[in-house]
Amino acid sequence: MDRINVSRLSFRRKGSHKKDKHRQEHFENSSEDIPRIKYISQTEAQSIDQQLFTEYAFSVDQLMELAGYSCAVAIAKCYPVEEMTKDNHAVLVCCGPGNNGGDGLVCSRHLKMFGYKPTIFYPKRPSKPLFEALYQQCEGMGMPVLSFFPSEAHLITDSYNFVVDALFGINFKAPVRPEFEPVMETLKKVESPICSIDVPSGWDIEKGNANGLQPEMLISLTAPKLCAHLFKGKHHYLGGRFVPRTLEQKYELNLPPYPGTDCVVELKDSQDDGNA
Amino acid sequence: MELAGYSCAVAIAKCYPVEAMTKDNHAVLVCCGPGNNGGNGLVCARHLKMFGYKPTIFYPKRPSKPLFDALYQQCEGMDIPVLSFFPSEAHLITDSYNFVVDALFGINFKGPVRPEFEPVIETLKKVESPICSIDVPSGWDIEKGDANGLQPELLISLTAPKLCAHLFKGKHHYLGGRFVPRTLEQKYELNLPPYPGTDCVVELKDTQEDGKA
Repeated sequence: MDRINVSRLSFRRKGSHKKDKHRQEHFENSSEDIPRIKYISQTEAQSIDQQLFTEYAFSVDQLMELAGYSCAVAIAKCYPVEEMTKDNHAVLVCCGPGNNGGDGLVCSRHLKMFGYKPTIFYPKRPSKPLFEALYQQCEGMGMPVLSFFPSEAHLITDSYNFVVDALFGINFKAPVRPEFEPVMETLKKVESPICSIDVPSGWDIEKGNANGLQPEMLISLTAPKLCAHLFKGKHHYLGGRFVPRTLEQKYELNLPPYPGTDCVVELKDSQDDGNA
Repeated sequence: MELAGYSCAVAIAKCYPVEAMTKDNHAVLVCCGPGNNGGNGLVCARHLKMFGYKPTIFYPKRPSKPLFDALYQQCEGMDIPVLSFFPSEAHLITDSYNFVVDALFGINFKGPVRPEFEPVIETLKKVESPICSIDVPSGWDIEKGDANGLQPELLISLTAPKLCAHLFKGKHHYLGGRFVPRTLEQKYELNLPPYPGTDCVVELKDTQEDGKA
């Protein structure tokens, strides 16, 4: 049977043939059947991002689109639109001043396509083309933007089926800035479920925050962060299905397999290994 | 382009599930043209790789624009091999690849096919592996089609189906590119069907019923 001669192909990157070698080594060295997913530090998270944008040539908006989309998909799995009975599927999306906020804007857009009715809170908009475009896209989808944050938690609880927390992500360093303090304090008292993107906002990326926000859902992006060990909510998902195999191996992320073509996978037992 | 290419990969995976792709460990060929349709193909190839397929890319005319340079580099970073030249005979493709993604020409195509792509199209017409065309079967007039042209088995229309899709005679027609704002849809009276749940693709059936262009 004639086949395409492999010598005609050009491979740029060496090493992917080793893709099973690492798992083999772990197999032999560990008493576990499957290598555990790695929970990463703040610097690892930032380095992985940097490599994705430099060596692997992804653009920020490209990965932000995939990340925000996977957040919307995970949220829809846990809070199906037909069950969101308050005010015709109304939800609130709180977007911070950085990339986590950008993920939130993308997420809102997809939630809108899925039939939810998102309202955006976006107090500090960076004057960068990426964020201006994301904001304009939300406007073009007819999504309202709050001029100011509701002063009392019950106003949010009464109006919104859930709140998406896209305030702060992996680049956060405490303490929370004064303009965001009241937002955080109010959100802590809201009784609607909170769905945090990547990191519960205000948490130390590695040590968490026992007095901080307690989201019901967490969507870790790319890989879970160390603080996710302290997540006590109901649903933990992994999204951002774009990590090249060689990068995954380099950081020994041991990502679980995503089912079929799904862009999210549920992570269970994140609290089993409490050792950071 | 990211959402479009991703939805193509999802639609393809629905029609040709990876576990059923038995030739050479899920090997597939992705032919990318010189424009945006080619870019969609590069994105699609990347997601097919994430889904477990083994894509090989053919990309003879790469535009020297940052967008396409980056998409190409992303494919290299995913260890997707690139053919230096197109296989000379159709059976070589049929034997090696479970299906071929046709991402050569899209909505900006105006006939005739350029000389450098002629042999590619001619060979693809003889390939027996299923052809999955992105947006428009390559080489077809966007409105009138091409009775002598490529006959894909799967067509993934992006945003909205094009007029020539009425003449599509293959097995599977999907709509992808779930990003059209409601006001724009209304402005053009697209009457898009509802996408199921959070799916980024929806199957279109009975495209041939209304044969009038």
